[in-house]
Amino acid sequence: MKTAGMALEQLSEVVQRCQALPDDSYTTEDHNIFTVAGQTCIKEGNSVQVLSIVLDEKNQEIVRCMGWNLLPPLIQVLLKKEDKNLPQCLAIFNHLLETCRPKELLIGLLEQLEQDDPDTIAESLHLLLKPLQKVLVRLGGRKASSLGMALSSVLDQVAKLPLPHTKEQEEDDVFSFCRCCTDMIDFVRPFVQEVRHNLLNNVMQSETANRTVGRQGKDKEDELRTELLKFCMKSLSHPLLEVHLKEPDTLALSPLRTFATEILNILGSIGESLSSLVHQPLLKRKQVPGFLEEVVRYPKESLASLAHLVFVHHLAADTFPTVFSPVFSLRCNIEHVSVLLSRTEESKLQKGLELYEKSLVRVEDGSLRADLLEIKTFLTVPQRTKGLKVFQLSIDKFNTEAKYRFFQYMLKTSNHSGVEGYIIKNIKNQIDIALQPGNSNVWFEGIQLMPLLRKVLILPDGPETDLLQYLDRVMESLNLLRYLVIRDKVTENQTGIWTELYKVEDMFMKPLRVGVNMSRAHYERELQNTMEAKKSKAKEESVLSVSVGGEELPSMTPESQIQALHSALHTFDMIESVLARIEELIEVKDNL
Amino acid sequence: LKMAAEPTREWSDEQLKSDDLSKKDIIKFLQDNAAHSFLNEHKLLGNIKNVAKTAKKEQLIIAYDQLFESKRFKGTEAVEEVTEKVKAVKVEEKPKDVKTEVVDEGPPKYTKSVLKKGDKTNFPKKGDTVSCWYTGTLEDGTVFDTNVPTGAKKKKQAKPLSFKVGLGKVIRGWDEALLTMSKGETARLEIDPEWAYGKKGVPESKIPPNAKLIFEVELVSVD
Repeated sequence: MKTAGMALEQLSEVVQRCQALPDDSYTTEDHNIFTVAGQTCIKEGNSVQVLSIVLDEKNQEIVRCMGWNLLPPLIQVLLKKEDKNLPQCLAIFNHLLETCRPKELLIGLLEQLEQDDPDTIAESLHLLLKPLQKVLVRLGGRKASSLGMALSSVLDQVAKLPLPHTKEQEEDDVFSFCRCCTDMIDFVRPFVQEVRHNLLNNVMQSETANRTVGRQGKDKEDELRTELLKFCMKSLSHPLLEVHLKEPDTLALSPLRTFATEILNILGSIGESLSSLVHQPLLKRKQVPGFLEEVVRYPKESLASLAHLVFVHHLAADTFPTVFSPVFSLRCNIEHVSVLLSRTEESKLQKGLELYEKSLVRVEDGSLRADLLEIKTFLTVPQRTKGLKVFQLSIDKFNTEAKYRFFQYMLKTSNHSGVEGYIIKNIKNQIDIALQPGNSNVWFEGIQLMPLLRKVLILPDGPETDLLQYLDRVMESLNLLRYLVIRDKVTENQTGIWTELYKVEDMFMKPLRVGVNMSRAHYERELQNTMEAKKSKAKEESVLSVSVGGEELPSMTPESQIQALHSALHTFDMIESVLARIEELIEVKDNL
Repeated sequence: LKMAAEPTREWSDEQLKSDDLSKKDIIKFLQDNAAHSFLNEHKLLGNIKNVAKTAKKEQLIIAYDQLFESKRFKGTEAVEEVTEKVKAVKVEEKPKDVKTEVVDEGPPKYTKSVLKKGDKTNFPKKGDTVSCWYTGTLEDGTVFDTNVPTGAKKKKQAKPLSFKVGLGKVIRGWDEALLTMSKGETARLEIDPEWAYGKKGVPESKIPPNAKLIFEVELVSVD
């Protein structure tokens, strides 16, 4: 075991020995002794002596080669903050930052960023970002890849921190997440300025045909720009896609909103126009080799996040041109929405929905044309919206032909009774509108309407259709039929229902009647069984199981089961009464 | 107001048909002497070059003849006549049997005044990429958007807005107007809300509902 004195002695020894040698002839042993002795001295509190050794003019070569190894214990002291050795360690640290080789300092600093617990992560970032910046600046024209490495590590570390969700959490910033975001922006600032400056110079040079930057120099500039672009793209994904930004009226000063705005500003500074990024999905994929690169450079999720920030939060609005048509914006944004809705995280789904709604609202009702439905996302996205409000909104924006085709498509593909029922209700509304004077259109009356009606006025499985499973659809179909029979005069037959009636009777009404009777009989039987089983429950403690249509009802108390069965029977009554009413109406009209 | 004397018929039928008389000559005469509504009906309004592209010589000869037959020279049309014509257009019945949804074209919902002439040669076609500097204001003068750099600092980094024209990517007023502009032209466009942001407006960008928008646009390049 070394004593404090011993370590200091060894350090002085190796330093003295090396003073006489040229720096390229220090041995591995020299390095090791310096490292171990130096680190021990610092750990044991002998920083004053280490400082004087490190500052000594005769030792600068040694410090330059080996000094960076002292970083770990130094940083430990700096993180502790209350250590009495703090001032000396800080002085050593700063001197090393200026003297040692940048590449080695970089490695040393990045190593110390790697922490596990959130508190240390946040504190290390806060301590080390400014030194990192200093070191990178020292690298001059060679800094690009090192900056990339640094940014990657920083973002990895930040990703380990818990995110604030509520306004209070953002204000309190217990885990210093917001502070880290602010620190990151400060960190990249000089590099952003450099890229901005380069771009300006390039513009000026191309105007004066005076190239002072050679080919290699230009490549380095591009690399720097690329690293910053990567940083922005990553940030857009995490944390920006995961946090819920608060509006100014909720939280006047929001570090997260500021962070988001700064990222957008950085993109602008490095020459990436926000409108080009939002419109990216529509880029024609001409060059195949280039295309893959585009996808990597501009990850879809990041672009979607950007669109959300611009359209929902209106960040950097003054740099986004107000000349694009709302239909075009919707066209681009629906791709972003599609990306977000295909994720599983609640925050991303929520943002997808918000972006979709925001984009739809800007479009006039009935202005989207049918040819837009050739774009797959216009068909798939509405279906993935949770909640009827936005679904109805998307329907409302289609023009009449597009509505027609959309309903056709949904009836064919949805396989969901509730959705189908909702579509059928919409069809009824459209027919109602078409029948009003002055609104005549070719889609919801006349010849075109028939094919659509045929898909509605039908029982999916004939008389065996499970009426409870398909209830929504069946009820809406009945409502529609009743409406048609009442509204459309036999003599006018604007909807064509009267000529189709015999088919509707065969395909829909008769099988429905049979189905209702069958189901009612079955449920009445089950009800009786259940009531009898309940009576005899006092005798046996048996588990009651009720099966309907081959599927067992979940185990409930007998009372609940009886209630469920009554409810089912009531439903059949309801179906039957509407059916009977329709038959009545038809008879009346037939006799006119 | 000095009333112009009725113009005389200079060219005979033979002269009209001959190659010595170009389409442009006839068009120029007609534009100089015929009433606005006459020119409109015969599709003779606009840039002489463009009219020359679309009109056949036979049509022009017929128009020339008709002008002297009907005597619908400039300054002969009473104001009442014009209003009657406008009324008639409004009352016109829409055809009953429509196969597809016919978009009612109607008159253009924007006006253009040329502030600085372009080269009159390079006109963008649908699908061409155009670049513009622009400033957009509301009727009350509020500037809601511009890409013209202000102040020396940002001057060199600003870029003109580039997009493919005539494809519905921008508000209709822009799409229509830019197709009539030539490279280098600066124009003042006043766009009705129907061809701008309509009933909704864009609240976030200070554009209220039913806002008429005024743009000063400079067409920098056409690709």
